[in-house]
Formats: sequence, C-alpha cells, structure tokens
Amino acid sequence: MKEDKCDICRGVCQADAIDFRQTPKKRDINVGAVILAVGIEPFDPKTKDEYGYGRMENVVTSMDYERLLSSTGPFAGEVLRLSDKKHPKKIAWIQCVGSRRLTEGENSYCSGVCCTYTQKQVILTKGHDADVDCTIFHNDIRAFGKDFERYFQRAEELPGTRFIRSYVAIDRELPESKNVVIKYATNDAGVKEEEFDLVVLSVGLNPPENFRELADKFGIDLNHHGFSRAIHSNPIATNQPGIFVSGAFQGPTDIPESVFTASGAGAQCGELLDYRRGKLANERVYPEERDVSFEEPRIGVFVCHCGANISSVVNVPATVEYALTLPNVVYAQEQLFSCATNSAQQITDLAKEKGLNRIVIAACSPRTLEPLFRDTLREAGLNQYYCDMANIREHCSWVHTKQKEDATRKAKDIVRMSVARTRYLEPLQEFDLPVNPRALVVGGGIAGMTTALSIAEQGHEVELIEKNNDLGGMARRLHTTIEGMEVQPFLKETIRKVYANPLIHVSHNAKITDVSGFLGNFSATVATEGRVKKIEYGAAVLAIGADEYQPSEYLYGENDKVFTHLEIGEEIAAGNEAVTRADSLVMIQCVGCRNEERNYCSRVCCSHAVKNALKLKANKPEMEIYILFRDMRTYGLREDYYRDAAEMGVKFIRFEMDDQPQVEAVKAGGKDILRVSVPDLILGKRLELDADIVSLAAAVVPAAATAEIAGMFKVALSPDEFFKEAHVKLKPVEFAADGVYLCGTAHYPKHIQETINQAYGAAGRVLTLLSQDTVTASGSICEVHEDDCVSCGACITACSYDAIEFKQTDKGRKAWVNPVLCKGDGLCNAKCPTNAIVLKHFTDAELLSQIDAA
Amino acid sequence: METVAPFNEIVDEIKAAGGEIFKMCFQCGLCDSVCPWNRVRPFSMRKLIREAAFGLTDVEGEELWLCTTCGNCALQCPRQVKQIDISVSLRRIATEYQVFPTSVKPVRTMSGSLVGEGNPLNEARGKRGDWAKEYGVKPFSEDMEILYFVGCYLSYDARLKKVAAATAEVLKKAGVNFGILGEKENCCGESIRKAGDESVFKRLATDNIKTFIDNGVKKILVSSPHCYHTLKNEYPEFMVHFEIVHVAQYLAELIAAGRLKVDGELAKKVTYHDPCYLGRHNDIFDEPREVLGKVGKLELVEMADSRKKSLCCGGGGGRIWMETANSERFSNLRLEQAREVGAEILVTACPYCITNFEESRLNLELGEVLEIKDISEIINDAVK
Amino acid sequence: MENEVLPVDKIQQLCQGGSGVSDFGDVLVVGGGVSGIQASLDLATAGFKVYLVETGPSIGGNMAKLDKTFPTNDCSM
Repeated sequence: MKEDKCDICRGVCQADAIDFRQTPKKRDINVGAVILAVGIEPFDPKTKDEYGYGRMENVVTSMDYERLLSSTGPFAGEVLRLSDKKHPKKIAWIQCVGSRRLTEGENSYCSGVCCTYTQKQVILTKGHDADVDCTIFHNDIRAFGKDFERYFQRAEELPGTRFIRSYVAIDRELPESKNVVIKYATNDAGVKEEEFDLVVLSVGLNPPENFRELADKFGIDLNHHGFSRAIHSNPIATNQPGIFVSGAFQGPTDIPESVFTASGAGAQCGELLDYRRGKLANERVYPEERDVSFEEPRIGVFVCHCGANISSVVNVPATVEYALTLPNVVYAQEQLFSCATNSAQQITDLAKEKGLNRIVIAACSPRTLEPLFRDTLREAGLNQYYCDMANIREHCSWVHTKQKEDATRKAKDIVRMSVARTRYLEPLQEFDLPVNPRALVVGGGIAGMTTALSIAEQGHEVELIEKNNDLGGMARRLHTTIEGMEVQPFLKETIRKVYANPLIHVSHNAKITDVSGFLGNFSATVATEGRVKKIEYGAAVLAIGADEYQPSEYLYGENDKVFTHLEIGEEIAAGNEAVTRADSLVMIQCVGCRNEERNYCSRVCCSHAVKNALKLKANKPEMEIYILFRDMRTYGLREDYYRDAAEMGVKFIRFEMDDQPQVEAVKAGGKDILRVSVPDLILGKRLELDADIVSLAAAVVPAAATAEIAGMFKVALSPDEFFKEAHVKLKPVEFAADGVYLCGTAHYPKHIQETINQAYGAAGRVLTLLSQDTVTASGSICEVHEDDCVSCGACITACSYDAIEFKQTDKGRKAWVNPVLCKGDGLCNAKCPTNAIVLKHFTDAELLSQIDAA
Repeated sequence: METVAPFNEIVDEIKAAGGEIFKMCFQCGLCDSVCPWNRVRPFSMRKLIREAAFGLTDVEGEELWLCTTCGNCALQCPRQVKQIDISVSLRRIATEYQVFPTSVKPVRTMSGSLVGEGNPLNEARGKRGDWAKEYGVKPFSEDMEILYFVGCYLSYDARLKKVAAATAEVLKKAGVNFGILGEKENCCGESIRKAGDESVFKRLATDNIKTFIDNGVKKILVSSPHCYHTLKNEYPEFMVHFEIVHVAQYLAELIAAGRLKVDGELAKKVTYHDPCYLGRHNDIFDEPREVLGKVGKLELVEMADSRKKSLCCGGGGGRIWMETANSERFSNLRLEQAREVGAEILVTACPYCITNFEESRLNLELGEVLEIKDISEIINDAVK
Repeated sequence: MENEVLPVDKIQQLCQGGSGVSDFGDVLVVGGGVSGIQASLDLATAGFKVYLVETGPSIGGNMAKLDKTFPTNDCSM
C-alpha cells in the first residue's frame, strides 16, 4: 500500500487510464450563456418499504434490469436472479413505482417513459429466452408517442406475455425459493395471488438530487416538483436570461425530446451570441495527407474486444495472430475498445511508426463508428478511404454466442475478406460545397414561425411559406393550454414578431410546385398570390402541421349537439351557453385513431378533454361531465390536471375496443338529449348517461399535403403517414435527406409546448448547417467511364436522386453523375449493361477480391 | 349485461354523509390487493367505491359493513381516497334507513346499551368501576397526575379486567398518582361512529368531554387504541384538546424517566401484534417494542406482517360486534403467523385484538402452546 | 442580460489573445447526459466554444446505463 492506495487497478488497466496524481482543480470560466442539462435521477424504491426493494433479493429496479440485460452487465448479458444465479422463468413488472402516486416520498406526476421502456424490456427478455413468462401490472398503458402504440402491440402479442390492469401488493418472499408473491385485483374474479421468480420495479424519474442547490446557484425558478418552472411560450428558457434548460430538467421526458430540446437550447444560445460565433472556437487542423498510392499495401489490423461483446465469444488473440499471416498485413494487435480515444491515438501512432498505409478495424458495424476511424486515418496523414471495418460483432459474436470456436473461425474469415478488399482500396477526395445561408420554412403555424424566428434571430434570412391567407395554423383554433397559457395573445405576438423581422419573408396563399438542388444549394418554386417565386436556400424545415379527423362516428355531423374537442374549446371561448350552461356533457376519447385504420394514439386528446372539462367545471361546477376513455394518457406533469378534474367531480369511465360507447338521440323529460351507454368494467354493468352535449376526441391526422410535400422534398413517411425523421433518438428533427428538417405536428401530434421545443430544436440543427461556409460531400460516389458508356439511359432511370443526366462530350452523349446529388447507393451500377458506371470505394476489384477471399 | 343509470340522489346523500372522496378513485385495484378480506373471502373495496360514485350502492347489502377500517388500503392508496370515510358514509345512510343485514343486527342492541348504560356490553353503568375496588384504585381528582380512562371492555369483560388490573398495579409500582372516573366514564364512541351511528357517537363524546372538563382532567391514559384514536384525533372536532397517552407509550415514558424498573425476566419467545389504531393510524410502532425489549431474557420475534403491514384482527370498524364466520376470521390467520415464527406469547395492546385472539386461540385449540397477553400484563409481571 | 454579456470589442480583444486566454468560452453546458452532449455538439458545430461539465467521472448519463433503446433496440452506447 502506497499512500493508502492499493494501486491494483492501475496495474490491470490496459488503457493506462488510471492516474492517482490527479487532484481537484478549481477553474473560473467566463461564458455568455448556460445550458442546464442536468437530467433526472431514477426513483429510489428503498424509501418505500412496500416495494420490498433491498429487502427481497429478487426484487430489482428497471435500471438494475437494464444492466442484467446488457452484455456489459454483471452477468455478461445473462438475466440471472441475484439469490441463486438461476435464469428466472417468470418475471413481473410493476408499473408506476414512484409515479402517479400521492403517497409520501413518491411523485404525483407520470414519468412518461416507464410504460414503453417496460415493453422494450419485455421484448428484450423474450429475445434472451422466449420461454420466460412476462407479466406487466399496470394502470393505464401510456403509449402516447410516435410508434409507441405499435410497439405496445408488439410486446402484447408475444406469446407468454400478460398485461394486467392492477396495482399490486408485493406480499412476501418465500423463504426457500426466494420467489416473490404478488397479489393483484381483477374486475370479476377477486384478488389473485401469484408467485414470480423475479420482480422488476418500473421506477419513475425524479428531479436531480441537488435541484434546490442548482436552482439557487443559477437563480432559476422551479415548479413544486423540483423541475424547471416552464415558461409556457418557451419551455427552454428560464426566468434568468441567458440560462436555458434542456432535457428532462424541463420535466420527465424521453430521449428524443432530450435531444431536440438540447438542439433548441443551442439555437437560443445562438440567438444570444450570434455576434461572437466562430470567434473563440478553434479550427481543427489535420496533418498533410501522404500520397501512398504508389506504395505496396502495408496493412495494420486492429481487433477489438468491445469490452466483452466480442471477446466473450471470439478468441481475439487467435484472430490477431491469424491476421498477421495474411498477405500485406505488417502489423496486428488487439484493443479493449478500439473506439476509445486512447485506442484511436494508438492507431494513429502505430500507423506512423510502422509505416502502415491501410487499416482494418475488426470490430462493429461501420454504421456508427466508421466516421471516427476515418478521422483516425486523417490524423495519421492517410487518406480516410484507406480504412475498412470488419464487422465481427453484429455479424459474428452477437449472433453466435453459443458457438465460440465456429465464431472465431468466422471472425478470421471476415478479417481475411476485409484484408483482401483493403489491398485494392483507393484514395478518394471529398469536396467542399458552398452553403447558401438562407433557410426555407414550410408552414406558418406555431412550429414554422418559431423555427423561422430563431433562425432569423441568428442572422439568417428565412423564406416562410404559408398555404393560407393568415399565419397561425391550427393554433388559431386553440384558446388555452392545459397549463393555462392564453394561446391567442401568444399567437398574435409571434405573428407580429415574424412580420417585424426584416430577415423573414412570408409568402401567403402559397404552394410549392417544384423543389430541386442538393444539400446547401436547394431551389424551390413557389406559387403565391398570383405570382411564381423561385427561392434559393441552403436548408429547409417542413412544419406543415396536421389536420383534425372528421368523425363519422357517434352522430357527428348528423346531430348539432355532437362536437369535437377542438370545436368545444372554440364554443367555450365564444361563450356558447348551449355548451357552457349544459347540465351534462359526455366526452368520448379515441375517435378515429387507436384503431385498425389509424394505429396510433393522437397524444393530445386526453389532456385536451381534461382541459375542456376543467374549464367547463370552473364555469359551472354542477355540470355532470363524463369522460369515456380507453387509457387516460395525461403523461408527464399533465397527470396533475387529470387528478384535478377528478377532484372537481369529472367522472372517468374506461371502455374497451370490443364494447364501445353507443350514442343515441332521444327525447327525455320533454327535451332532446343524447343517450350514451357504455359498460363499466368495475361495476360489471352498462351505464346509461343522458347528455345535453357530446364531445368527441377526434384524431389528429396528417395534413392533406403531407404525401405531396414528402415527394417533392424526397423525404420519407412513417407507417402512420406523418413525416419520418432520420433517427428516432439521435436525429429527431432531421430527415434522412440531407439539409431537410422537420418539427411540429407534421412529425406527430403534440402539444404546443412540445411543438415550441421541437421548433427551436430544428432551428438549432439548421444552424449547424447554415453557420458553415461549406459542407463536405462524400467521396464514395459513382463515376462514369465514358469510353464504355453506350448512352442507354438505364442508370438515369434507376437513380432515386436524379443525380445522373446526359452530357454532350467529345465522344458524344454520355451519362454524367452529379457528384453532389449522388448518394452512393450503387443502384445504377447494377443496371449498366457495360459496367461503365462504378461506385467508388465499392469497385468490382474491391468487392470481388473480398468475395474471392471468402 | 344489466343497464343502469347513475342515481344522482344517492350520490348526493353519500356526499352529504362524508363520502365524497370516492371521486378521486382511478380504479387501480391496490385497495383490493392489500385488503385482508381477500385472504379469507372476496371483497372489493374498489367496487364499493365505484358503486358509490354512481349512486348504485346496495344499501341493504352486507358489503358496506365489511371494512374493518384497518387502514391498510388508505395508507397506500395512490389517489389518497379515504376508503374508511366512504365505508362510514354508506353505513350512516344504512343506519338512517335502519336497514341492517343479519350479521350486523347486533349493532342495534349495542347502540341501545351505549345510549342507556354508556357501554356496548349491556352491563350496568353502576358496575363500571367495580373491577378497581380490590386494587384500591381511587376516583380521579384534579390534583392527580393522570386520568386512567379504562374503556368498556377492560371495565366489564372477564378476560380484560385482568389487563385493567395489571395496568393499575404497574402504575402503582411506578408511583403514579392516578384515578378513574368509574360510572362517570362513558364509552369513547369510536366504534359506533365507524358503524355509522353519528348521533350516538356525538352523545357519548360530549358526555365524556363534559365529565373531563368538570373533573379538571388534563392528561388521559388509555388502554385501547380505539379510545386513543378518537380522544386524540376526533374529540378535537368539539374544540377541546386533552393530552392523550396510550399505555404502551406511557410505560416507555415511565421506564425512560427511571420511575419504573423492569428487573424481572421472561425466558420466552414473544411476538408483538401492532393494533391497527395504534400502529397504522397513529404511528406508534417503536414504543411497545422498546418496552418489551427491557424484559430480561425475552426474545422478541416479528411476524410476517408487522408494523405498517400488520394484519388486522378483524375487530375494528364496529366489526367486533358483528358476526363473522369462523372461516373468515383474520385473527385465525394472525395466530398462525405467530405460530410460524415460533412465538409462545402473542403480545398486543388492544382489547379488541385480545378478544378476537383469545377466541381464535380456543377455536384453533392453541391453548397449550400460545398465550395472548396485553403489554401491561407482561410488564407488570416483570416489575417486582 | 446586458451585464452578463461582454461587449463585442472586449471579446474580440480576448480572442486575439489566442489560446493564452483559456478561461473564456461561449456556453457552459451543465450535465453530460444525452441532452448535454447533444447541446455541446450542436453548439461546437455551429461555431461556439463550449465547456461541458459533468459531476461524474464519465459522460453519458442515464442513457449510457440502458442496454438497448426503443424502438429499434439499438445499443444505447
């Protein structure tokens, strides 16, 4: 023991990452803005004895369970019970642990993420062992997000999975088996008792532990839950100018929202600090590229353990040894994590030291990490296309966990093939394209206007396209939010700011007729108010909003006492006494969605119903209000309003799809009423409710123009026909097509605050593009060998990006690839009868040598 | 499926009777999951609440009389629905209509006796202080340290008179200057209130309060957690405040102050049963265990359901007066739990619990292996 | 707000000082979870100098503790 330190860790750390000489240092930093992205703390169930956590060995939290599922977890990805290290065969998940409960030490709000993460855990558990019996004890299923409903169905339909609607008593641990006995309620068969091998507590989200200290330090206001007190018109801002909040510190949120609020906070910092952009940041400088094209290939092979992800199956040292026997391989070694900073440095250093001119990384899929390794080559002064990734994880260790020897043999095959291809790799040049600094925003609702304003505030011109005569979109029909924001004054002020901003140019009654161009250099043709405008721009944001479903159900359109929630909101605002003075009102949820035709949840309607109910009750407390629902999806902090509505006497009745409410117009007591009947599952009886007014939660449906606009901008649609983002989690406000972004309800139904968050997020992402003078286009694109081209045009037809056209050359009319538009998918290669068109980096020589080596 | 319309007149009556909190229920089912009834027979508090919410309560039925007011569901309810208030409101309505199912009929006799004699046991008011004679317990006077509010069962019941005696003796050993009200003492009224008879409760409470004031009472010692609960938490509704202490607390106080020396031994395995109204309702969990811990050689073991999770004996909410089939008695289950942990003595601190446990002890033929004791009996025996 | 933001001139002066003035940045991001990382990356790409502070020894936050993520079941790392 030296200075009370055993030093063992330093000895075993292969990365030399442990340094005992480090001491805390205090630094004063001066900045122009602060973003608080302090996140959440998982709820600690130890504080509630009833959950048995810490008392019963086989009760774990969902965070613990994530580790059990993980291949880098305590049992290397095997789900084992703590008590006996055996595989559990029967697992229970308990929902709402720490959430939706007024009991002391728990949170009254809904954490918003647990329903879906539990379904994910069930799906993963079944992937580990299809025979495990999975039971989920829940209250409402809150599948309110994009694709959540389908995901829930996927989990629910797995054999051996039960979703049971009951909170439970975690009754006792059986002394011998250490199994846990759970009691739960049924509608008609009393309380049941069941034994489980493992119990997972689906814990909710708490504000960060030190939230008070944090708030004091930064002088920001918190709400009574300990999250940032949202400013209705801009939840990213705080009461302190220059201090912004992103992620779950706004209140419980999921990953996509944490990501786009981060981009949104970035945009608001940009609005504040635009004048100093680029002043403090340093340009990254790479060493000069060495021309190695005339050299004999000298290949270095790096085989990654990926922690234990690869090395627990594949024999890594043997693979390294094998690699050394391959032609042109002059160096090979293993690495614990090749993607770690120090490993990349090692690759750079070794490339220089050993004179390597090509690198093979035997690790994971190139999808995520290829850019990193290409960068590593640039650091070593090599052309970045001299890199190849041999995927021995997804293609090998992950799929052959039980066949270690065969997997090692396969890893060697994959490395051999990769080495063979690498010998033929060619240096490719990427090129810079100038970026037009103007933005195009399609849609003049809250989403479009917010994003346009933020982009303009950061010094960029914006063309804002609105299909109607007036700006405002759907928000023109909304009067308050559930949190109490007056929508119309906010909307008026936003519209005023848009018109007042000299950098924003609005086109009214506008229709886009054509879009062309490429990243940073687009052009759109817009017909507006009798003239045609050609707009050149560098990036576009599609914020075209959504529509309200026109119900054909429940006498809508036939009886003038049947409204939609949106209409009721307007009637309340207009003071229509037939509505505001009604004796009884029945709301029916999920009209036109969560069905076969529209298999998604419209997300906003539960809160919308509660909001209207609260308004009506405040106005006339004795009004009988019934809300007929399938699951109350007042997620997040909105749960408090659901409870408020109950407190005010609003009655909630749950129904199921196979026995929906019936509405009938009848005469009773001399007046025309609507008779609504609905089964109550707890009573086991059908309730007959007489209503003066019926209000329907009409679905939010994609805007009529969605498909047409998607076609013009070459962006994709989700199964529900809303716009499809590039990546649910990591790229939530951009499309797969470069330079095109999205926000608002065109992406998926959402509340105003969420729309504002996302609109700022889109602005932030747009600025990461528009603040650049140039963008880099890939070197891996197609090229035509003009001598071989017979000018048949097959490639032109095949190309999805209009990247190929005929050009007159000395040798006649030949196909020509616009390098900026080419996405390198190689479709044209397959169509060319004379092999005249090739995709660089995937040439025949490269691929055939790889295949020959197999 | 039967079709019904909500019955708003009944809903309004329930609200007026104090049960409006039904509106908060979101039917999660937790109350049913934790309810002790579901260990012996099906009973759905959730359904009872749902029926109340739509005015569909079966006022003549037995369901509304089942809740023992043990408080297990209320403690955990995520919406803080006060299930006991709802049950009581329904019983008030049934009492008003004078509709009682057979098993509840005895309650009517109890009410008569309470009004006439100040106790539910059909005993003469004049005999209330008789038990104290042989122990030389004095009538309370203003100069005394504390009033011992004995309670009905300890005053009349043969088994429980022993508890009163033990309490009196141990107080004397500690040199406490105390007295009783004798025939001036009335039933505290807690259980008849839970059984829905608010007028009888008010009568008993105001009589007691008047007596306390007339006699200059400040601090009151009780043996029953039910007396404790109502004197401490419900009498303040009449704008009076007395200092109330339960015997388990008081013993701990006396020991801590050095007035009582527990010098005896009891080489037995003992388990302690938390009465609902002492534990869950009033958060007194540690003092009785502390006191038992002072007895030399006594080995204290915990049953499966202890402290906050304690299993109700079945006697609360007026159930002590109603008929419960032998197969449906929670006390039977509790005795089995005591046996499972090898206890030789089951100690508690509530006359209802002792009554129910003694009965189960007979029924289960555990007379030889398990004793039922009040905490004051244990301590009295352990103090020389 | 005015007193929080340094005058443009002063900033430029400081910038000219080059790397010698190491304690001036544009934005401080508190928290190195997914949101803090994304904010830092966006700001840096958009031309700002960012300080990212994290209480723990590594960045990644709660997301890094997850095995895989909805709905693609992608590895969260």
